[in-house]
Amino acid sequence: MRTTTAMKLGATAAVAALALTACTAPADDISNADFETAMSTPTTISMWAWAPGIENQVAMFEEAYPAIDVVLENVGQGGDHYTKVRTALEAGTGAPDVIQLEYQYVPSFVLTESLLDLAPYGANDVADQFTPWTWSQVTNGDAVYAIPQDAGPMGNLYREDILAAAGITEAPVTWDDYAVAAEAVRNQTGSYITALSGNDAGSFLGLVWAAGAAPFSYDGVETISVDLTGPATQEVIDYWQDLIDRDLVSTDPSFTDGWYQGLANGTLAGWLTAAWGPAFLQGTAADTTGLWRAAPLPTFDADNPIAGNWGGSTLAALSATEHPIVAAELAKFINTDPEATLKFATEQFLFPTRTEVLTSPEFAEQESEFYGGQRVNEIFAEISATVDTEFQWLPFQDFVAASFVDTLGKAISEKGDLSAGLAAWQDAIVTYATEQGFTVQ
Amino acid sequence: MIAGTVPTSRQILRNRRRHPRDRRSLLLTALVWLGVAYFLLPLLWLAIASTKDNADLFTTFGFAFGDEFNFFNNIVDLLEFRDGAFWRWTGNTILYAGASAVGATALATAAGYAFAKFEFPGRRFIFSAILGSIMIPATALALPTYLVFSSLGMVNTPWAIIIPSIVSPFGVYLMRVYAEDSVPNSLIEAARIDGASEVRIFFSIGVRLMVPGMVTVFLFSLVGVWNNFFLPLIMLSSSDLYPLTVGLAQLQALSTGGGGSTAVFSTVITGSFISIVPLVVAFLFLQRYWESGLADGSTKE
Repeated sequence: MRTTTAMKLGATAAVAALALTACTAPADDISNADFETAMSTPTTISMWAWAPGIENQVAMFEEAYPAIDVVLENVGQGGDHYTKVRTALEAGTGAPDVIQLEYQYVPSFVLTESLLDLAPYGANDVADQFTPWTWSQVTNGDAVYAIPQDAGPMGNLYREDILAAAGITEAPVTWDDYAVAAEAVRNQTGSYITALSGNDAGSFLGLVWAAGAAPFSYDGVETISVDLTGPATQEVIDYWQDLIDRDLVSTDPSFTDGWYQGLANGTLAGWLTAAWGPAFLQGTAADTTGLWRAAPLPTFDADNPIAGNWGGSTLAALSATEHPIVAAELAKFINTDPEATLKFATEQFLFPTRTEVLTSPEFAEQESEFYGGQRVNEIFAEISATVDTEFQWLPFQDFVAASFVDTLGKAISEKGDLSAGLAAWQDAIVTYATEQGFTVQ
Repeated sequence: MIAGTVPTSRQILRNRRRHPRDRRSLLLTALVWLGVAYFLLPLLWLAIASTKDNADLFTTFGFAFGDEFNFFNNIVDLLEFRDGAFWRWTGNTILYAGASAVGATALATAAGYAFAKFEFPGRRFIFSAILGSIMIPATALALPTYLVFSSLGMVNTPWAIIIPSIVSPFGVYLMRVYAEDSVPNSLIEAARIDGASEVRIFFSIGVRLMVPGMVTVFLFSLVGVWNNFFLPLIMLSSSDLYPLTVGLAQLQALSTGGGGSTAVFSTVITGSFISIVPLVVAFLFLQRYWESGLADGSTKE
């Protein structure tokens, strides 16, 4: 109910904004003198973020700008965090200056005009430091709404020993190879090669992304498009329908007790997951050290591999901030300072978005015992370079994720008709968007 | 026993006491054991799980020990989390629960005594209103409470947790019933005749006779505030003020898949286990007051 009201308000605000932008000139870039003054004036600003260990990067910022005092708060992760940010914005007091923001929620904060456009604060100068797809996730035309912090390009983690026992000695390159491997693993070891889970829209959309589909678009104002039933998404659906019908993949919900047990005891022989997956898996299945390997996600077109992304965050400055120069610099510094970003990658297990870190020997050449001495980071860094740049999100991704569970997710869990589930998902999103006053193309 | 008369329940009880074998009831014993299992098995699971690392959690049977004994490693992980945040949360919980329980007990005792022993206009109405408010779940009141505290400028302070928790309608009800039975009117009359003030009667006679009831209210509110999750969740935004419940939930959120996520299940489980130990200790320690109180009530003529 709360979201509905907020969305309606947001939609109204967006319409009003459309009328306003026509007569407002874009803000001029901040001059060096203004920047120097702001950064040397004693100022306290607050940041809400949950990235583990981000206090390290905040300390580096405070060292670089001794006049600035940053108050860091962790008010929760994901949903709790956004609820608190929105509540504070509505209340008009107590909102932070800078927030951690996942890529898929950037448009919903653009819709409510809650984000400061960082372009006048020199954000475009750092654009070429980032992998192109992460930059395209945070920009709209010339506007820059956030600075990418970490990412989750998707790959394939699998049990080498189980696949070998089924006679598969090479990581599957195409989805056809993967289906053959799935059959061999199921028939000869009794395990499932992986689970397609119906309780998480993020991983499924990652697979859609990797198929080159871009089902959503948003113009930053009030027009959206939803095309989940297009050929690229349908290809993904048909593929998994076949595997599910032949009982070659599990449909257990992910991040549940049974699922963790499956990964730890080998009834699940693999996990199609993001770049943050390798470190996470290591923590839950320590007994299987050395048996796992990482590989790129299988692809439909071996000559032209495309990858998708699942997860990752940015830092964004809120437009309500009283210290826009300092807030913009905080977001920019933490995610572009070479030392700060390298520490994120090598000590805090955040998968980097800056190309310099992705190719740095300290990061790329780390060898992981859990993955039999493989350079897992290097593999995911190569995947990151192939992530499609076209993929966008809708400005009400909360609803998209929730309705996935009721429609397509339900069809997956019940091993039912995935195409019908997909169509129901499309309908639910379009109906909701229309009710909220968006123009759906 | 006199033939032809219906035995009173007291006589039946006496009869049963003479023949211990008659007291056995297979059904009741089985039900009690079921109850014991229902309450103790989760606790047992928690105790055992706190000795496992993540790998053992997902590969070994829940009620059997894992391959390694990791209890102390888990404790070290827990205490090292964010430079000892767990200690801070523990301190906060003790402060919130302790202050609220003392305040709630004092308020409920005074109010319960007043309702039981004084006639004043509006007594029935006020008491009915208090009884009625027991029916409203605390969760439903959390948001209005937030708005009130927000306009008072007291959100994100310990007062936002302690003040709402001091008001305990159930405690008032309990203390009224208890005061009626345990503080004899004749005793109060005697004290009045001797010239004692009402305040003195309350503290010197009333409070002393009501101690077992007060312990009950104290324990109820201690447990209630100790385990309260929703009120601190909405009232507090600074993690330095979090109690254990919200802090552990935040720790658990680290295991949600996403950038930088790490699996800390064993740490969360150990934290949950440690967080209930003080409650168990408080119960064991205060139990004798409680039991003696209940027994006092039953033998009084």
